[in-house]
Amino acid sequence: MIETQHISTPLLAAIIALLLPLLAFLIIGLFGRRLKRQGDWVAVSFTFIAFLFSAFCFSQIWQQAPQYFQLPWLNTGIIKLAIGLRLDNLSALMIILVTFITSLVMVYSMEYMKGETNYPRYFAHLSLFLFSMLGLVLADSLLLIYIFWELVGFSSYLLIGFWYNRDSAARASKKAFIVNRIGDIAFFIGILILLTQFGTLDLTTLFGSGNIQGLVQQSKVLGDHWMVINSAGSIHALNKTYLTIAGLCIFAGAAAKSAQFPLHTWLPDAMEGPTSVSSLIHAATMVAAGVYLVARVFPLFDSEALSIISVVGAFTAFMAASIAITQNDIKRVLAYSTISQLGFMITAIGLGAWSAALFHLVTHAFFKCLLFLGAGSVIHQLHHLKHEHHLDFDHQDLRIMGGLRKKMPVTYIVLLLAACALSGIVFFSGFLSKDMILMSAWMRTQTEGSGVTFLIALALSLAAVFTPFYIFRLIFKVFWGDFRLQKIHPAHNLIVHESNNFMKVPMMLLAAFTIFIFYSFNPIHAAHGWILEGLQAPLSNFNKETVISGFVESAVPAITLLLSIAAIFSAKKAYADQKLRFLSEDNLLFQFSQRAWYFDAIYDRIIVEPTVLLSKLTGWFDKRIVDGFVNLWGNLTISFAAFVAWIDKRIVDGFVNFTGSFSTWLGSLFRRTQTGRLQQYMALGVLGLILIFVLTYILH
Amino acid sequence: MLNGIPLEHFLYISTALFCCGLFAVLTRRNAVMVLIGIELMINAAILNFVSFGAFDKIKNGGQMFAIFGIVLAAAGVAVALAIILNVYKHFKTIDPSAIDEMKG
Repeated sequence: MIETQHISTPLLAAIIALLLPLLAFLIIGLFGRRLKRQGDWVAVSFTFIAFLFSAFCFSQIWQQAPQYFQLPWLNTGIIKLAIGLRLDNLSALMIILVTFITSLVMVYSMEYMKGETNYPRYFAHLSLFLFSMLGLVLADSLLLIYIFWELVGFSSYLLIGFWYNRDSAARASKKAFIVNRIGDIAFFIGILILLTQFGTLDLTTLFGSGNIQGLVQQSKVLGDHWMVINSAGSIHALNKTYLTIAGLCIFAGAAAKSAQFPLHTWLPDAMEGPTSVSSLIHAATMVAAGVYLVARVFPLFDSEALSIISVVGAFTAFMAASIAITQNDIKRVLAYSTISQLGFMITAIGLGAWSAALFHLVTHAFFKCLLFLGAGSVIHQLHHLKHEHHLDFDHQDLRIMGGLRKKMPVTYIVLLLAACALSGIVFFSGFLSKDMILMSAWMRTQTEGSGVTFLIALALSLAAVFTPFYIFRLIFKVFWGDFRLQKIHPAHNLIVHESNNFMKVPMMLLAAFTIFIFYSFNPIHAAHGWILEGLQAPLSNFNKETVISGFVESAVPAITLLLSIAAIFSAKKAYADQKLRFLSEDNLLFQFSQRAWYFDAIYDRIIVEPTVLLSKLTGWFDKRIVDGFVNLWGNLTISFAAFVAWIDKRIVDGFVNFTGSFSTWLGSLFRRTQTGRLQQYMALGVLGLILIFVLTYILH
Repeated sequence: MLNGIPLEHFLYISTALFCCGLFAVLTRRNAVMVLIGIELMINAAILNFVSFGAFDKIKNGGQMFAIFGIVLAAAGVAVALAIILNVYKHFKTIDPSAIDEMKG
């Protein structure tokens, strides 16, 4: 057994990094209003210190042996659960990523959320989120992951509904929470199957580490049975379908959090939250938790589960990309883009390109966060404009923007960099990570040659071509052409300013991380970059390692790059120069895309409406039948009580009253003889005497 | 036979005397009259004692009882008159039918 009780320095640093945000949450939550600047500096400084600790942790752990710290927690006889931390390459990378991005977003929020009524609450919730996310990636058992998983979902709920007095925000937060619950339940079922089979939820025991096999890898499918010598040392067997079910259940949990089809509909609605929240939670970190989870439990997925995962991911990637093309809300474009990119990561996991998935997670976190912050900067300025001139317009609508390039140069440049990274232009981070996923997909098609793998590869490639188109559509619509709002309101002199340093500096820092150099010194191939060197897929009995080589290695990136550049130019023609029109707005395909493939309408029709109907039906049943029965019983009791009362009043009381009134009557009868008159008594006495004499005479 | 007068005649007179007394007791509305009625009844009884006492010449038990009766009647009258006086003081009447309260 590995040494688990000893706390090494990196572990201590990780614990401090984990607890600092919780402390910040408590301080701001309890005393926020009384602190200077309403306590935002507490959140920012604590997060930054947490980042420093994480950085230290990372420097100690990366490419070193994993470290563990565990305390016994719940001993219930057979099942022994422990709580603890696990620091390995993956979790160290995640904590440094999360704390770094969170500190930048918090600095950005100091300006973006300025003047909000609930300013301290925002920072409190953001700190709570950071705590949950750190806990999630540091946790060393599935149960602990599940607990933090729920906390992450809960803080996301709080932040989406930050402007809870807006009806749409309240609805969006509820929707996000409910959709996530569906996934959570599936996740929990998966956990229970694992607990039944293996008797433990400890990640290291289950999935091993490095080259050591865990229980999952040791388990064998023999005939119809899935056998293992579990943690108690005895042989345990379940039907082999449970292996697939467990994998798919955990994947369903991840799909809800990472907004994969069919549980993706909450993410676009979650854009009702503040943009900084969307940037941090709904693009960079929380939604990546799903990818993190499937990466953690990767050895559990058998071939069936893996193929389902890759199909779902590829479908999601393609679907979301096709929706993003026609959205008019700047944040919705980015939301669907996020769903699409998460689809790429999920597909990569399904294809066994484990390290490519996590590599894309890291690069995506930076550029997607930046895209949202840039969009937030534009939204922030337009919002100011709206208040300054007392105008009424939707400050997130792409159709009113345009020509902001010269007015907001910094925002323009950082957004351009992020867009290039997202599109996978060479020399940018996205090129390295996304093309690795595409290469694995095409390589798999080449080696297996099956129709499904071909469709997956095709869907991903189409999504990869759609991506530059929709993101540059956004860039051109916002920054090129004329300022359309000015045209709508010619009477006002509308001047847009660049955002201030609180917003600019975090964006510029993030923009630096869109460049390839941070991930690999080779701008066109990342295989020997430091990140991929450190991210080695865990052992799996089912994973078919795809070695990328030959034709695919050179052709796929080249063709994708060419197609991407072509897409950018067509987007320029269509939206900057307005010389090209693809589809009219009435076109069915356009409508299909803009209405997000009608998923919300379909869900409303087949899930929400029947549920409402069912609840109405049960409500009716409850009111009429159950209540009716209860009321009937009550009425019967009342009638019976009335009958008993009648008996009591008439018969029992009547008897008592009769006794009383009879005595009264008898008394009043005899009272007449007691007149108090002596002479009458005497007369009666004499009469009695005479009567005795007469009787005596007669008897003798 | 007592000096030629038969015993029955004494008894008739005694009975008549008793009935007169009883009548007075039952009907008079004056307590003094009632008292007189009682005296008449006592005298009727004494007359009976004396009459029957004529047949007991040796011991003279009847005569003795008659003397006792006279003494007792005198004592009774004294007590009764005192009561009547007190009743009058209290009720301002000596009509026995009006006195129907025992409470003082």
